[in-house]
Amino acid sequence: MMTYQDTTTPAGGDGPILRCEGITKAFGGVNAVNGATFDVPRNKITALIGPNGAGKTTVVNLLSGAMKIDSGKVQLGTTDITNMERYKIARLGLMRTFQLSRELGGLTVLENLLVAPKVQAGESLFNIFFRPRLLKREERQNLERAVEILRTYGLFDLRDNLARELSGGQKKLLEISRGVMASPSLFLLDEPMAGVNPALIDKIGGYILDMKAQGVTVLMIEHNLNVVERICDNVVVLAEGRTLATGTMSELRENKEVVTAYLGEIINAGPSH
Amino acid sequence: MAQFWFYVFTLVFFLFDYFILAMGLNIQYGETGILNFAYIGFVAIGAYVTGAVSLPNSVGTAQQYIFGFNLPFPFSLLAGGVAAMLLAVVVAAITLRRLRTDYLAMVLISLSLVLYDVINNYVRLFNGADGLYNVPQPMAGVLHLTSNAFVVFFACVTGVISLIMWAGMSRITRSPLGRTFRAIRDDPDVASALGKGVFRYQLTSMLIGSFYAGIGGGLIIQFGGSFNPTAWLPGETFVVFAVIIVGGVGNNVGLLMGALLVETLLIHLPAFLPDIPGHAGLIEYIDAMVIGIMLMVMLWFRPQGIIPERVRHFALPAGELLNRDGHSVEAPPETMNNAASTLSASETHEGDRA
Ligand SMILES: Nc1ncnc2c1ncn2[C@@H]1O[C@H](COP(=O)(O)OP(=O)(O)OP(=O)(O)O)[C@@H](O)[C@H]1O
Ligand SMILES: [Mg+2]
Repeated sequence: MMTYQDTTTPAGGDGPILRCEGITKAFGGVNAVNGATFDVPRNKITALIGPNGAGKTTVVNLLSGAMKIDSGKVQLGTTDITNMERYKIARLGLMRTFQLSRELGGLTVLENLLVAPKVQAGESLFNIFFRPRLLKREERQNLERAVEILRTYGLFDLRDNLARELSGGQKKLLEISRGVMASPSLFLLDEPMAGVNPALIDKIGGYILDMKAQGVTVLMIEHNLNVVERICDNVVVLAEGRTLATGTMSELRENKEVVTAYLGEIINAGPSH
Repeated sequence: MAQFWFYVFTLVFFLFDYFILAMGLNIQYGETGILNFAYIGFVAIGAYVTGAVSLPNSVGTAQQYIFGFNLPFPFSLLAGGVAAMLLAVVVAAITLRRLRTDYLAMVLISLSLVLYDVINNYVRLFNGADGLYNVPQPMAGVLHLTSNAFVVFFACVTGVISLIMWAGMSRITRSPLGRTFRAIRDDPDVASALGKGVFRYQLTSMLIGSFYAGIGGGLIIQFGGSFNPTAWLPGETFVVFAVIIVGGVGNNVGLLMGALLVETLLIHLPAFLPDIPGHAGLIEYIDAMVIGIMLMVMLWFRPQGIIPERVRHFALPAGELLNRDGHSVEAPPETMNNAASTLSASETHEGDRA
């Protein structure tokens, strides 16, 4: 049975796994994120929706430390992670994927997964030369887990291919499975289903539900409201960098403002990219 | 006859020495993606420090230099390696944290020019433009070697050192550390999103590479007995780049090939040819042209080098060859053979599959 969760979960505590309070980010004159405030409840799948350019990707960049936050506060579990160095945020259990997949092209599919565990004994020069058995054991465990994940994600047969040789859909799968390999407690997915065929959309939906079953909290950006309806427990609507509404999908459908102003627009615009 | 062997073993020395230098640059550039255009500066520091610690105190000699400890080989050589690592710490602290590849490359090239000017003009450091000379030949006195015999002896010593360093480097590049280096090379943003402290790993890679640079430089001054600024014009960095690009970035065996082709056959062999009558020094220029053309041809037609980076294949644990339903899964034959012995990573060449 596959376990996604590390035995130690740094993003501990009770309340919401992530609290995001009034974060802002401006690019020159553009206020890309302008006071977004929302919670991500633990062990749920939360959707982050909103029109193109609403600031969704920027929010993910701010939460994961890829960009500096201008003002506001982000808390992961009980830890304040506002403007913490990104690798430290990752080590606390927050993983993310990129809207345009970013594979490690010169590594094989298998290596893309093997590199993911956050802290490895085999990354220390001392251990490489003086503790070869520890390395071997660790590498074996990682290999077993990576193989299991690759099987689940249907990438097993591609394991020895260089990641840059994969198709777009395969790269999406690789990126998600790489994040899973890193045992996240909170996984931010930036449009995991954009640009993939309908059959794969269902599959990816299944994987995300699977992660939840294994105790991973998911925050996913998604334009396809059918998908949101089916797999997400909660929805955060972002517009012009602000949180417009939060709630379940059916609650939002009853919110006239949201429907007329934004949901309609999203439905009309259809899935992006 | 003795003269002939002197030439041959001089070539052998430079082959192994540049193999070491190429491995050092390769871990930085080929594995970690750090475009270190100051590489030759690290080689020079290794050479100067090795020379200066093995010379006697400079008081009363015709030269001016710091240290002067009479340190015997191989301690003198290790001092050179460590000195290059110290330089790496300083350079990394100034540059690595803030700068991305191309800017980093520009700053590094400027740093190497500054270093060059300082050493060339601040005579009290390493005797300025005259450089260090009369550096004692390691063990020549103890073994009663003639100067020709010393060349043979030291070429072999260098060969042994390069093999040891090759073994060490292979161990590093095959390890999870090497994998993390390559992840950072491919996309530092993804690496840090996976929890890798990119700066720390780049620093580690710089330190390893600089140690190799310093040792390679130290061997040069131990071999020839002298070293001065004409030996490390900043453009020399690109000879080492040519070695790794021609041989194959990311492949240690390729590096040896590159060293053989570029350094031994193209640079040092022609130096032994007689001048073309009436055109003294012409061969040197033709040489530089040939290297330049070769570099362009390689980058155009075979950017992966003569022997490309290996694609790492892993033998899977025995149980993993069965799928969930217990049916055996098709596996390539080489995987089958290694199935019992986990993790003897077999490697094939990317080029063979393309
Ligand atoms: N690095 C950047 N530099 C300058 N402007 C940026 C940058 N990143 C985003 N923006 C701007 O910020 C705004 C929000 O962009 P963002 O990518 O966050 O939107 P999004 O909600 O993810 O949109 P989409 O649904 O199209 O992916 C846009 O106006 C965009 O042009
Ligand atoms: Mg986006």
